[in-house]
Amino acid sequence: MAVAAPSYRQTMLDYLAPQRAKVLVLCAVLLATTGLQLAVPLIVQRFIDGALSGEARSVLIAAGIAYLIAGVANQLFAAVTTYLGADIGWTATNRLREDLAEHLLGLDMGFHTNTTPGEMIERIDGDVTAVAEFLSRFFAKLVGAGLLLLGVLVVAWFTSPLIGLAFTGYVAIVLVIIYRMRHMAVSAAEEERETSALLYGFIEERLAAIDDIRANGAGVFTMRRFAGVMRDFFFRTTEAWRMRSKFRILSNLVFWVGSVLALMLGVWLVQTGAGTIGLAYLLYQYVMLIQNPIEQVTQQFSELQKAAGGIIRIDQYRSIVSELDDHGTLELPDGPLPVRFEHVDFSYEDQQILHGVSFALAPGTVLGLLGRTGGGKTTTTRLVSRLYDPDAGSVQVGGLDLREVSASSLRHRVGVVTQDVQLFRATVRDNLTFFQQDRSDDELLDILDRVGLGEWTRSIGLNSKLGAGGSGLSAGESQLLAFARVFLQDPGVVILDEPASRLDPATEQLVAAATEQLFVGRTVVIVAHRLETVRRADEIMVIDAGRVAEHDARERLAADPESRYSQLLAAGGGLLLGGGS
Amino acid sequence: MTASRSVDRPGNARPDGRPTLTTFQLAIELAKYRPGLFGFCFVCWTAIHSFPVLFGLLIGQIFDALAGDEPAFRSAWTWVAVFGFFAVGRHGLIWVGEMRFITYWNDQSLQLRRNLLRWLLEADGSRVMTASPGEAVSTFRDDVEDLQEYMENYIDGGGIVVFAVGSVAVMASIDGSLTAMLLAPLLLVIFVAQSLGPEIRNRRRAMRIATEDVTGLVGEAFGAVQSIKLGATERPVLAEFHRRNEIRRRAALRDTLLTEALMAVNVNMATITIALVLLASAGGLADGTTSVGDLVIFLTYLPRLTFYLAFVGHFIAQHRRTGVAFERMRKLAVDASDHHLLDRTRVPLHGDAGELPPQVRVSSDKLQRLAVSDLSFTYPQSRITIEDDGSAVELRPAGIRDISFVLERGSFTVLAGRVGAGKTTILRALLGLVPAGGEVRWNDQVIDDRASFLVPPRSAYTPQIPKLFSDTLAYNISLRETMTSESVHDAAHLAVLDTDLDRLAGGIETVVGARGVKLSGGQVQRSAVARMFATEADLLVFDDLSSALDLHTEAELWDRLFDHRSATCLVVSHRPAALERADQILVVDNGTIVDSGRLDELLRRSQVMTDLWEAG
Repeated sequence: MAVAAPSYRQTMLDYLAPQRAKVLVLCAVLLATTGLQLAVPLIVQRFIDGALSGEARSVLIAAGIAYLIAGVANQLFAAVTTYLGADIGWTATNRLREDLAEHLLGLDMGFHTNTTPGEMIERIDGDVTAVAEFLSRFFAKLVGAGLLLLGVLVVAWFTSPLIGLAFTGYVAIVLVIIYRMRHMAVSAAEEERETSALLYGFIEERLAAIDDIRANGAGVFTMRRFAGVMRDFFFRTTEAWRMRSKFRILSNLVFWVGSVLALMLGVWLVQTGAGTIGLAYLLYQYVMLIQNPIEQVTQQFSELQKAAGGIIRIDQYRSIVSELDDHGTLELPDGPLPVRFEHVDFSYEDQQILHGVSFALAPGTVLGLLGRTGGGKTTTTRLVSRLYDPDAGSVQVGGLDLREVSASSLRHRVGVVTQDVQLFRATVRDNLTFFQQDRSDDELLDILDRVGLGEWTRSIGLNSKLGAGGSGLSAGESQLLAFARVFLQDPGVVILDEPASRLDPATEQLVAAATEQLFVGRTVVIVAHRLETVRRADEIMVIDAGRVAEHDARERLAADPESRYSQLLAAGGGLLLGGGS
Repeated sequence: MTASRSVDRPGNARPDGRPTLTTFQLAIELAKYRPGLFGFCFVCWTAIHSFPVLFGLLIGQIFDALAGDEPAFRSAWTWVAVFGFFAVGRHGLIWVGEMRFITYWNDQSLQLRRNLLRWLLEADGSRVMTASPGEAVSTFRDDVEDLQEYMENYIDGGGIVVFAVGSVAVMASIDGSLTAMLLAPLLLVIFVAQSLGPEIRNRRRAMRIATEDVTGLVGEAFGAVQSIKLGATERPVLAEFHRRNEIRRRAALRDTLLTEALMAVNVNMATITIALVLLASAGGLADGTTSVGDLVIFLTYLPRLTFYLAFVGHFIAQHRRTGVAFERMRKLAVDASDHHLLDRTRVPLHGDAGELPPQVRVSSDKLQRLAVSDLSFTYPQSRITIEDDGSAVELRPAGIRDISFVLERGSFTVLAGRVGAGKTTILRALLGLVPAGGEVRWNDQVIDDRASFLVPPRSAYTPQIPKLFSDTLAYNISLRETMTSESVHDAAHLAVLDTDLDRLAGGIETVVGARGVKLSGGQVQRSAVARMFATEADLLVFDDLSSALDLHTEAELWDRLFDHRSATCLVVSHRPAALERADQILVVDNGTIVDSGRLDELLRRSQVMTDLWEAG
C-alpha cells in the first residue's frame, strides 16, 4: 500500500478546472463587489463635503442616487458571489466524493476488513465536506475579504500617507491579535460537536431500547446515568461555547476600539485642517468595513488548515492500490461451471490458512463444506469468489484460472449468499437490485415469487422504503431477499454461507424451497455448521487445519463408518462441527 | 417537503381534553425554571441593545462639534471620550450577559430533554413510540431548541424594542416627515422576515435530510461492500450515490439562495432608506437647516434598525412555530401532561446525582400463578409513513385477540407458531409494553399497570432483537447500580458467555461499541440473556433466545437454563430443546391460541404444530 506524496493544491485545481467558466465569472463579480463596497463610503464622504462646501444641489442628488445604485448592486453581487461559490464548491467536491467512493469500493477485501463503515463516512463525507466548506467560501469570503482589505489600504494611502500608515499599522496589529486568538473558536466548535454527538447518541440508544429498559425496570438507573451524561454535556458545552463567545466579544471589542481611534484621527485631522468632515466620516466607516474581512481571513485560515488535512488524507486513500490485479480478459461460459483447486496455499496476515488444497467439482455438483471454525472453509469460498488470490497454486472456475477472468464476468457468474444480509434504507426494489434501474417489475416479482417473498412485496409495493437496518423486514424475510439477489444475478456457481441461521422452521422451509430452486443447473458450495443444512449435498468435503481431510459422495461417506462425516452424523452433529456464533 | 414523516392517526388525538397552554403561557412556564437567571439575562441584554441609541446621539454630537465654531469645536474630544467609554464599557456588559445566557440556555435544554426522556423511560403505563428513534431524537434536538430560541427572543426583545422606539423617536424629533417616509420600507422588512423565515428553516431541514441520505448510503454501502463486490453492482450503487449527492447539492444551493435573498432584502432596505435620507437632506445641509450631526445620526441608526426589525419578523414566525414544536414534544411523550414536560426540578449539575431517588427494588409476594385472560391488541394503523416519492407504506405487525392462559409457578411454557403469527405481540401485551385490553392476575391479584408492575424482581424480559448500549459489558448485564461483580459473572456464566469473556481483551469491562457492534450477534443475544438472569426475577419472558446461536452454544444454554432454573418461564421458541422440555406449548396462529398442551399431545392432534416440528 504505497502512499504517494500529497499534492493537495493539484487535487483542488483538478476539481476546479472543469468549472473554469464559472470561476472566471465569480472572479469578475468579486472584483465588482469589492469596488462597490469601497465606493459607497466614498460617495457619502463626497456628499457631506459637497453639501458643507455649498455645491450645486444637482450634484448632491446625483451622489444620493449613486449611493442607492452602488448599495443595491453591491448587495446583489454579494449574493451572486456566495451562490456561485457554493455551486462551484459543491459541484467540485461531489465529484471528489464520488471518485473517492468509487476508488474505495474498488479496493480488495483485505482493505475493507480493516476499516469500518463509520471510517468510510468520515473519509468520504467528513473530510470532503471540510474541503467543500472551504472551497465554497474560498472565493466569496477569503479572496473577497483580501481584496477589500487591500482596497481599503490603497484608498487610505491614496488619501494621505499618514492615514495610510495609520490604517496599515492598525490592520497589522488586529490581524496578529485575532490570529493568535483564533484557536479558541476552532477547538470550541469541535468540542461542541463531540459533546452533542455523545448526548444524542445516548438518547437514541435508549429510545431504541425502550422495551429492554422498561420491561427490565432499568428506567431509574438509566436516568441516573443520564444525569452524568447531562452534567458532562453541560460543562463541556458551556465551556466551549464560552470560549467561542469570548473570541467573538474580544474581536468585536478590537473593532470598537478601532472605530474610536478612527474618530479621534478624524477629529484631529479636521481640527488641524488636514482633512474634511467627510473624511472623518469615511475613516469611521472604513474601520467598520474591514471588521468582517479581517474576521474572515483569520477564520478561513483555520478552515484552510482543516481542508488541507482533509485533502492530504483523501490523497493518501487515493494512492492505495488494490492488491488484486484486474487484468483478466477471459469470459466465463454460460451454464453450470466446474470448480477446481490445484495445490492452493493461502495465508492471511502471516498465518497460513490453506496448505496445498486440491479438489475438483463437476458442473452442477452440490458440495457441503464442513469443518471447525478457523479451519479454512470460509477462506476456500472466498478464493472461489476471488475476494483473495492464492499465494501458490491455482483456483479455476469453468476451466479458467480466475486471475485470467475479467472481473465483471466473474462477478456475474459466481454468486454468493452471505451470512449477514446488509439492507439499505431504500426501496424494496433498490434493496433487491442494488440500485440497478434496468430491471422490470415483472422480472423482479417473478424472482420474489420464487423465493416466497412475492405476496409480501405485493402487499407493500416494490417502491416502498425499508427503514434503516432493515426495519420492516424480519430476519427470515431479509434472508430470502439475499436469495432473491442471487437469483437476479443468475450465476453458474453459487456459494452459500451458513444459510439457515435466525429462522423459524416455517420460514426455514421457504428458504429450503428457495435453495432447492437455486441448485437447479448450478454448481453449489454450502458452508454450514448444521448437519441438516448439508443433507441436500451431493458431495461432502471436510476441511481441517487448512487441509482437505476427506472429500467424497455424501452417500458413500455416510455408509462408511470410518468417515468423519458418518462420525459427525452419529454424534448428532453440533459438537464436532464446532463453530462460533 | 420531501421528508419522511408520520401521519397522525386519529386515535392519537388527545382524548383527555387537557387544557393546552397558549404559547405565551408556555413562555412564562419556561421562564420559571430559572427565573433569577432569566431575569438577569433580560436586564443585561435590554441594556446592551438599548445602548446604541446613545451611540447615535454621541456620534451626531461629534460631527456637529466638528462642523461648529471654536468652543464647540473643542468639545469634539469630550464627545469622543464619552463615546469611547460607553462603546468599550458595553463589551463588559456583553461579556457578563453572554456568559450567564450560555448557562441559562444549556440548563434549560437539559431540563426539557430530561423531562422527555424520563417520561418515556420511567412513567407508569404503556409507551408506544409514535416515531422511530431517529425521528424522536430530532424532537429531542430540534423541537427543544425551537422552544429555547423562542425564549431567547424574549431576552433580546426588550432591548430591541427600546432601541426601535428610541431611535425612531430621535429621528422623528429631527425630521418627523422624513422619518414617517422611512417607515414603509422598514415595515416591509418585518413582513419579509416573518414570511421567509420558516422557509429558510424548511430548506435547512431538507439539507440535513439530504446529508443524512448521503452519509447513510456510504455507511450502508461499505457495510455491504462484500455483497456489492460479489454482485458486481458497484456501478449502480455509485449512480445512486451520484443521485443523492446531486439532491444534496441542490438542497444546499436552495438554502444558500434564500438566505442570501433575505440578507439582500434587509441590507437593501437599509441602503434605500439611507439614500432617501441623503436625497432629502441635500438641500437642508447646503442651506444650514440640517446639521451634519443629524445626518450622521440617521446613517448610524438605519442599518441597525433594519436588522432589529428583521428580528421582529423572525419573532412573529417563531411564535407560531413554537406551538408546533411543543405539540410535537407532547406527541412523542404520548400521555404526559404539560406539568411533566415542564417539570421545574433542577437538573443536578453539581455534587452527585443524589437528587434522584436511588433505584428501589420493589418487594412483592413470590409468583405462584400468573393468569392471563382475554388479552387483545391490534396495532393502530399507525406507522404509515409517507415516503420521498409520496407513496404511503403501512407496516402493520400482527394483532392478537382473546389470549388466555395460565402459568403455574416454576413451569416452562413455549409459544410456538409461524413468523407473523403474533407470538411477540403476546409477550409485549402481557408485559404492558403495548396498551392491550384484557386482564392479567398475579397470584389472583389483578395487575393495574402491567408496565410498571412486571419488572424485576417480579419479571424480566429479553426481546427478539435485544439492544445493548455503548458502555461496558458489565453495565449492559447489570443495568443497575447495586449488583456485585460476582452476580454479574454468575449471570454471564448461565448465559454461556464465559468463554467469550476470556477471549475479549477487557473481559467483563469490555466496551461493546454503539449498540454492541463490537460483539457478534450471538454474543449480543447472550449478553441480553445474562441481563435477564441477573435480575433473578420470578418470571422470565424471552423471545427466540437462540436465534443467533450455533448449535453447540445453544445446547449448552438450554442445559444451563434447565439445570439452574427456579423461575417461571414464558418463551417464544421453535427449538426442539425447548419444545421437548416444555410443560406447556401454546400454539399461536393468526393472532390467537389455537391449541395448547405438551409436545407429544400436540403432535398427535395439531397440524400447525406438526408442520412446525417437521420443518425443524
